[in-house]
Parts: sequence; structure tokens; C-alpha cells
Amino acid sequence: MRINVREWVGENAMTQEDGKVVYDRIHDPLRQGETVELDFEGVDVFASPFFNASVGRLLEDLERGALNAQLRFEHLSGFGERVLRRVIENAEEYYAASPEHRRAMDRIVQDTAAAM
Amino acid sequence: MTVLTLNILRINDKRRDFNTLARLWKDVMEAGDGADVHFDFTRCDFLRPNAVVFLGGLTRLILSRGGTAHLLVNTLQEKVHVNLLQNGFAHAMGADTPPWQGHSIPYREYPEQDKQEIVRMLRDDWFGRGWINVSRALADGILGQMWEIFANAFEHGRSPVGIFCCGQHLPSRRELLLAVADFGVGIPSNVRLFRNPDITAEDAMCWAFKRGTSTAQRPASARGLGLDLLREFVRASGGRMEVFSHDGYARVDPQGESYETLPAFFEGTLVQVCLRCDDRCYRLSNEQPSQPFF
Repeated sequence: MRINVREWVGENAMTQEDGKVVYDRIHDPLRQGETVELDFEGVDVFASPFFNASVGRLLEDLERGALNAQLRFEHLSGFGERVLRRVIENAEEYYAASPEHRRAMDRIVQDTAAAM
Repeated sequence: MTVLTLNILRINDKRRDFNTLARLWKDVMEAGDGADVHFDFTRCDFLRPNAVVFLGGLTRLILSRGGTAHLLVNTLQEKVHVNLLQNGFAHAMGADTPPWQGHSIPYREYPEQDKQEIVRMLRDDWFGRGWINVSRALADGILGQMWEIFANAFEHGRSPVGIFCCGQHLPSRRELLLAVADFGVGIPSNVRLFRNPDITAEDAMCWAFKRGTSTAQRPASARGLGLDLLREFVRASGGRMEVFSHDGYARVDPQGESYETLPAFFEGTLVQVCLRCDDRCYRLSNEQPSQPFF
């Protein structure tokens, strides 16, 4: 399966919303063992919220090894790759935390947001 | 209803000027919701972009708290008045005169995340005026990192009034200034919430800058800014970047990076980027130099 990222998010892949659009298209196929190619041809600007929501989040229920084998990145700029690698490193740390620890952090944030 | 008069002084972009801005914020907070606030510019002969974005945001903050804000135009000195007319601040605040192109990066307010407009502004108004030469690939990388600053406020900062941006080209000093402000949670507060409640503002700023990036899709994730390319570029161009956030302060310049806990405090983040304008063309180290013509 091949996803032309520009078709879905335009030339600036930066926001969580952009990332979620891509995640929604690749998550199930990856879970079913399909190979996915993300083609970034024509995408110029990258920021971490996009990769967090599209790729980093995959580590919630998919193994690193499986993702290395099934998910490919085509025409990703050098800077885009730099951002992506950091996002993956961060996401691995986040998802490596215990579920209790993550739930506690989520609760703090939700309470804070509700109070504002 | 509390009536408050804010006496606006000359505001440059030095450390002590941040204290002046933080004091204005404190006065507004102490006046409480619904305050009637007057901005008196009688003693102000100079405002840098950091002050412009801060005053713009403060005005919107007062309004969002049910108050009223009056910019006393008759107290503006001619030079300051012209500057505020040219960069669009006055127009945004209700003046009839539209902004005009000069050496300003126009004053903008972004109540909501608008990626196309923000990227357009950064690309066209910051890099696109010929004041500094950067390759397209480097510009794209830097735009992505500037977006991290905006996204931080939209996604984690939860600024109640959005984000404010303005800049200035100073030909005589060969400097290009850009300031971005929000009135949200702030970096030290975010780091304390998500990483370590006892961390000092200094250490929180250091963590946020050194940390690669965020896992922003998950609400509990702490956020680092991941500004490595922007920091490298600022240093290479002989410029500086300063971030004031709550009581945290970070500075990047050719001498290195420093982090401090400040005595002054405001709820939000103010970013000041100063690039040195010269005749060099900046590009990423892995970009090929131009091919010879013959």
C-alpha cells in the first residue's frame, strides 16, 4: 500500500491533525501485516506534531521490528528524517513507561486542561 | 471596576526590558477580571517587536477577561506612532490606517492554529524579503522549527488568546528581528507537570531545549522544542535567540547556550530571534553547492 502524503496534508506536514489523517490510513493495514510506503514527494516542511500523530503513535500497539519491516519512507528530506528519528526516539521512551505512569500523567494533564 | 493606567516606557529587547514587560503583565493580573486598562505611551520613545507582540497579547488578554483596553493614541510619540501604523499593530487595534510595507514583518494575531497562513508569513515576510539569503531546503527546515514554537503554544501552551508575531529589519544594524508571544502555560510549567514537579525553571528550559522533540499526540507527553537546526543557524549567522517563559530564560548565541531562572515572571512564552543580515548565502551542510555556469 502506498500513501502519497502530499495528497492528504499538502506541502506542509506539521500539525497533529495532518498526522492523524495519515495514522488513520496506515494503522489498520500495518496491524494486519501489510507493507506501507509513505511517499513524501512534494512535502517540504516537517514538524514533530505531524510525526508524533502519524508515526510515533504507532508504537502504542506495534513493535519496532514490525514497523522497521513494514513501514517505508520515500522521498523524505534530510530534515524530515531528522525530525522523524527524534519523534520515534521520544515515542519509544513514552510507550516504554508503565501504563500506570502514563495514566497518571494523562490524568494530570486532563485535570489541568479542565481547570483552565 | 478597577481602572488601571499602564505607563509604557521605552522597551528594547534586553534582559531588563523583559522585566518591564513582566511587570505590565503582573499589573494587569492584579487588576483582576473586568478591569478598565489604559495604555499611556507618553514616556515611550521606542518599542522593539518583542514589546509590540507582548502589548498586543496583553490587550487581547484583558479583553478575554471581560475588561476593556484603551491605547491612548494621543500619548504616542510620532516615531512610535508611525512604527505601530506601519507594522499593522495600530490597525489590528482598531485604527483606520492600513499597514504598509517598510522594514517591518507585519504584526499578526493567530487566535487559532492556521498552518498555511503561518508558514506563508514566515516564508514570505521573514525570509522572502531579501534581507537574508537562505537556501530553500534550509528555509524549509527552519520554518519547521519555527512551527514547533507556534505548535508548542497551540498544543501544550493552551494560550487563551492565541499567538502574536511581529518583526523588524534594522538595516543600520544589519539585524532581522522576529518576536513571537503567547500567554499560555509556559515551558517550565509544562516540564514540571509532565517530567518533574521540583525542577527549577533553569533546568526545565535546558531540558526543553536539549530534548529532541515531543510526543504531542499523547496528552501527557512532555515537550521539548527540538530547535537544533534553528539554534545552529542562529549561531552561524552571528545572531541570537532568547526565550522567556514563566521565570525561565534561555539564550542561544555564537558564544553558546545559557539557561537561567529569572526573578521576573509572566504566564506565557516570549521568543525573540535576531538574525544577522550579511551577504552570505546559508544552506544545509549536505546541500550541493551551485553548479558552475560554464
